[in-house]
Amino acid sequence: MDENKFDHDQSPYERPNFPYLCGRGALWRTPCNNGPKIDGSCGGTRDCEPFSKEGRWLCRREKQFGGSCAEGPGPRGECSWQRPPCAPRKTLRVIRGRIAFLAVAAIVVLVAFSQAFNPDGGGGFISISDAVPLSKAHKKFTEGCASCHAVYGQGPAGWAKAVFTQLDISERCVTCHSFDGPDSMAHNEDLAKGREVRKTQCIMCHREHSGERMSTRQSTSEQCNTCHKNKFESFSQGHPEFPERYPYFERNAIKFDHGSHLKKHFENPKFTEKAPTSCIDCHQVALSDREVRPQGYEAICIDCHGSQIKKKDLVLIRLPELMHDLIDRDALVQACNSPAEEKTDEEFLSVSTEMAALVSAFLLNVPEDDPEAYEQPLQELILAMAEESILPLEDLINSKTDNKSMADKLLIGLNPEVLKRAACSWGLNLEYAPPVEAKFGGWYADMLEVRYKPMGHRDPVAKNWVEFALAVSTIQDDESPTTLAMRDQLISAKEGVGGCVKCHAISETITADGKKKLAVEWHYKDVNDRPHSNYAHSSHIEIMGNKSSCSNCHILDAKAEYMASFKDFNASKWSSNFVSIERKTCVQCHTESQINQDCQSCHVYHLNPGFKRKMISAKRQMPEVKKIKNDM
Amino acid sequence: MKRIWGYIFIAILFFVLIWVWTLQLEASLNDSEFVSGGALFFVIFVLCMFNVRKRLPFLPLWPAHKWFLLHTVAGFLALFLFWLHAGVLWPKGLYVQILAVLFYGTTLSGILGLIMAKVYPNLLTRVDLECIYERIPRDLAEIRNKAEGLILECTEKTGSDTLAQHYVETLAWFFQRPRFTLNNVFGGQNAQTWVVQQCSVLERFLNEEERGYLDQIGALAETKRKIDFHYSLQSMLKKWLLVHVPLAAAVIAMVIWHLIVIQVFFN
Repeated sequence: MDENKFDHDQSPYERPNFPYLCGRGALWRTPCNNGPKIDGSCGGTRDCEPFSKEGRWLCRREKQFGGSCAEGPGPRGECSWQRPPCAPRKTLRVIRGRIAFLAVAAIVVLVAFSQAFNPDGGGGFISISDAVPLSKAHKKFTEGCASCHAVYGQGPAGWAKAVFTQLDISERCVTCHSFDGPDSMAHNEDLAKGREVRKTQCIMCHREHSGERMSTRQSTSEQCNTCHKNKFESFSQGHPEFPERYPYFERNAIKFDHGSHLKKHFENPKFTEKAPTSCIDCHQVALSDREVRPQGYEAICIDCHGSQIKKKDLVLIRLPELMHDLIDRDALVQACNSPAEEKTDEEFLSVSTEMAALVSAFLLNVPEDDPEAYEQPLQELILAMAEESILPLEDLINSKTDNKSMADKLLIGLNPEVLKRAACSWGLNLEYAPPVEAKFGGWYADMLEVRYKPMGHRDPVAKNWVEFALAVSTIQDDESPTTLAMRDQLISAKEGVGGCVKCHAISETITADGKKKLAVEWHYKDVNDRPHSNYAHSSHIEIMGNKSSCSNCHILDAKAEYMASFKDFNASKWSSNFVSIERKTCVQCHTESQINQDCQSCHVYHLNPGFKRKMISAKRQMPEVKKIKNDM
Repeated sequence: MKRIWGYIFIAILFFVLIWVWTLQLEASLNDSEFVSGGALFFVIFVLCMFNVRKRLPFLPLWPAHKWFLLHTVAGFLALFLFWLHAGVLWPKGLYVQILAVLFYGTTLSGILGLIMAKVYPNLLTRVDLECIYERIPRDLAEIRNKAEGLILECTEKTGSDTLAQHYVETLAWFFQRPRFTLNNVFGGQNAQTWVVQQCSVLERFLNEEERGYLDQIGALAETKRKIDFHYSLQSMLKKWLLVHVPLAAAVIAMVIWHLIVIQVFFN
């Protein structure tokens, strides 16, 4: 190649920044001599231009394009060497700019299209909510984007305003979600105790627009450390030790002494056949979660304890030893419709040598062991029962409580005729002779007493009497000896009706108005005093197996005075049958490179999360829920 | 070479700083996305400035080669920041997926452009010929005219049209415009083989004088082949921007929309 070909007189000056290039050059022909100008116009169709030299016209062109032309000009002064017209082409630079413009325009159109084709002012086929799809739950429950985004559908003015307004999306969350505490405080509780702590927001942990599955930020120890005073690296390294008595903080509702049963009774040859072989024979592993509840009385206790309940009667009234016969004989004869019998002058000799029943002594408000004190009111009661049977008893019971239907509950099944006959006999200073022995339970009169025999577990009358005894003993401000004696008898494990309190604990509770109240714990009590802790027995049993997994953590404490704990009504003071579980027990598995030790494995952040009524009613309106209800 | 390591070091330092910052924000339950997103936006802004700089060559705004290094390193930095910001390689949701496609497309085309910018100049310097891209049509026309002139001269002087007929049937196609473009892009030798083949196949049918003309035409064909090579590679060096720049413009449009949405809905 010629080294001088790019000299100024050899080739035209290239201007690559111009938006046009020579159309002829683009077709790989010799480019035009006067290439396209910046506006795209070409220099003409002629190569040569006429010029006058010394009075003679000649044709010429620039040296770089060949210099003088051999021919021309013609008669009309025009030069030959004409070229066909040239159509300049756009340069790559211009094409690139146009494509870039089209790309931007496409995006703008796409966005505008998505905004315009949504009735709420957003959405479309690349809607804003499609930034990432909503979780399944929120997709169904919410009423479009506006459920969470206040600015949604408010047009450009609303958008512009939103840019300069601080939004708290959490305020929208709590219109449906509820907690048992302030929603913007950590753990929904005022745990800071006067310290300055920042307000919490739902979006600090919960992320929407993360796909169909709701995304919750994984709580690491570092995140907990930002607020918690006790900072630690992980559960295995630095987590605070479990508190004393963990997790046996609250006394059991059922007095089941694991120590005596496992070490004494189950090893007794008398009960070996009936005894369970492992924990799962009594505890319902299949349904376990936080609790591994025991099976019911009928499944696991009745084999050994079934006959004991029926043996423990309630003595409602007993004819005690009387010093004088104070009964109006005429009235008694009339009431009992018995043959008239005149009083003799013989010295009165009471048919009974017993003390009065504690229940009747309480009802009459007399000491049970002082005949002089009780004989007058008791004989009045006997006469009244002879006349009106059950009514005077009802009046006495109802006078002791605020609950005017208490007598109905306590005297369920009491036959008025039996009571009347017993009263008539006792009025005549005679023993009442029942026609047959009472075998099947319920109310009956026998010789000097009116008794109640529980029919089995969950006997309503026995339960009501125990509750009545506890209620009247706490209602009365000045707890009289007769009240306490009656209560202590009824809640006695040995003498109490049905022996209910042999197994059911009695605990002192505080009522809403701040008064102390004694209550029988009739049902198994779930441990719900640690709402921020979570433990799944099921997954642990699944890993460790049914047989030995319980004893890995729950170790029997042979020295514990378990039953002694129930002598007191204070449920928080007690000795568990089991040794407290320590952190090191869990660390055996929950440690580095073994099993997950995230905070969320054991702790629940929120305090009893739930839904508000609005949310539940909204769910009822959902088509699929409606359909299910209709199908049902 | 030393200079690029400086840029890479600064980019890594910047990324680590942002990463650590986001980790700290995550640990304190704050929104790390605003930091990673802000950093990404800043880097995208720096990347855009390269194009602005090219449009303002008269301003003393750093030499272009430094801008190129900055653009290259910032491009890779943007990719890592994008992953940090999105948290995943492939996000969910149509809107973000469109953004991701455009971003990945821009990055990928940029990487291809970078590879070409590093490889092609070396290949071009191995060709003992220099030519200006815009003048290639003129050069090709000149060579074609010379070749056609030689053919006419040969026919006139030798009275034989063997060479002329062969030229019309084969070589004229070659001289008409750049050929074997794709083969040249991938560094192939098809053009050279073809020229040699076309000349050698005719040689035995020519006399001594005609062979002289054939040699001259062969030399012109070789020159033309070299210009074709220049044309192919220089075209690629220019045309990859037809993909990169529009994609980048679309990314910026989407980023602006993304920022508006974030400001409106998550302020």
